[in-house]
Amino acid sequence: MTKPRIVVSGLGVVSPYGAGTKTFWAGLAAGTCAIRPITLIDTEGFRSRVAAEVPADVMAALGVSARRARADRLGLAAAREALADAGLGPDDRAEAALVIGAVGGGMLEGEAWYWEETRTGRPSPRITALRSILPYTHAETLGWRLGLGGPKETVVMACASGAASISLAADLVRDGVVPVALAGGVDALTRICFMGFNALKLLDPEPCRPFDRDRKGMSIGEAAAFLVLEEADRCRARGGRALAELLGAGVSTDAHHVTSPAPDGEGMVRAMRQALIDARVGAGDVHYVNAHGTGTLQNDRTEALALAKVFGSWSVPVSSTKSLVGHTMAAAGSLEAVATVLALQHGLIPPTANLASVDPEIPFDCVPITARPAPLEIAVTNSFGFGGQNVSLLFGR
Amino acid sequence: MTQKEVLDELKAIVVERLRFDPRRAADMTLDTTLPKGVEGSLGLDSLDFIELSVAMEDRFGITVEEGQDLSQEFHSFDSLSRYILGKMGPS
Repeated sequence: MTKPRIVVSGLGVVSPYGAGTKTFWAGLAAGTCAIRPITLIDTEGFRSRVAAEVPADVMAALGVSARRARADRLGLAAAREALADAGLGPDDRAEAALVIGAVGGGMLEGEAWYWEETRTGRPSPRITALRSILPYTHAETLGWRLGLGGPKETVVMACASGAASISLAADLVRDGVVPVALAGGVDALTRICFMGFNALKLLDPEPCRPFDRDRKGMSIGEAAAFLVLEEADRCRARGGRALAELLGAGVSTDAHHVTSPAPDGEGMVRAMRQALIDARVGAGDVHYVNAHGTGTLQNDRTEALALAKVFGSWSVPVSSTKSLVGHTMAAAGSLEAVATVLALQHGLIPPTANLASVDPEIPFDCVPITARPAPLEIAVTNSFGFGGQNVSLLFGR
Repeated sequence: MTQKEVLDELKAIVVERLRFDPRRAADMTLDTTLPKGVEGSLGLDSLDFIELSVAMEDRFGITVEEGQDLSQEFHSFDSLSRYILGKMGPS
């Protein structure tokens, strides 16, 4: 039996550049770093005071009620764009699965409630702030508002959540559970995330410099990104456009440590190799890797080790779009999947911003500063979360 | 207080506390219905009603009974403002 082919038929993004896939790609292609002084939370005395926020004027123009949690507002706007881009009508939506990668939920609003109680010593009446505090509430909100009638799943896999949502949605389509799925990740900036990584000394005081020998950590970002996945024949039959094909996916767990990756990159290697096997593609056929590339000492070095094992040193261009839009946590895997699809479409590799001199232990062309035209047919995007949770997705033009 | 004055206070509460757009609040009248699931209503859910109740207690100096079914009273701004005026007693 031949394996059903899964295509990407719609994209939707709200990123630190603004609303929309076109805005996102324009920022990536120009190599514009969207990491700036933080405004949403108080960071007085912190190691790092920069982040890639979605600007206030962009939030106000999303067309989503300010009554909703910030993360839900990002998610609804991005999901609407993806469904419209795919041209999915009410009947398609009624049978579509929804798979969301989420971590922070409506924590930004929940934190404000908690701080008010703690600081005033009185119970806060602002109980509506807790409405969306749990990660699964995004799926509730989006499923209901967008009329998505299929199975509804929330994937919580740290920084790999967004990528894992795509892998799971592809399985649902491939196995015939649903004909079409909306998959992606959502995360708004939160105090607990920013302060946690700040306390771990994993935040660069300057905008992050993945792969640079002087890198000092990551920069936090916020975003939502969604992809519509469907079986190729069905997409063609209904007159949809295939923007790219999801050729394969690999998911693995290090089972090593709560935060550190296994030092030999073994779990990362397994995820990438699984994706290649799933796609029936050789390592030499991959033209670009969109790295997890957080900018922490440990991640970048371990990822480079794993990449060298799978692809060979100096074999394939590798860039980190986190240098441009920050690490958008649960959204990162899906945002970078969109970046990878767009790179294939445009034949242009988004650069690694802020990269002055590459760490000698990273034996790859990391596409510094400026985007590079290249005939791209097949590309991989990696997402490696805390807890050694690894997802590699392999897309083809 | 007149019913109109109570309505204006309630509209201020839904903007300040329930984060409705002030432009939308300007269109709210006594006939505006409140609960989620009622066609054309503001779509308030149970958490909204709790926050609204607490704000009403602060603003009007009344106590909202927790043990009673007040769904009729919280149906519209008309029924809610009558309930509040009844609680406040003759001024």
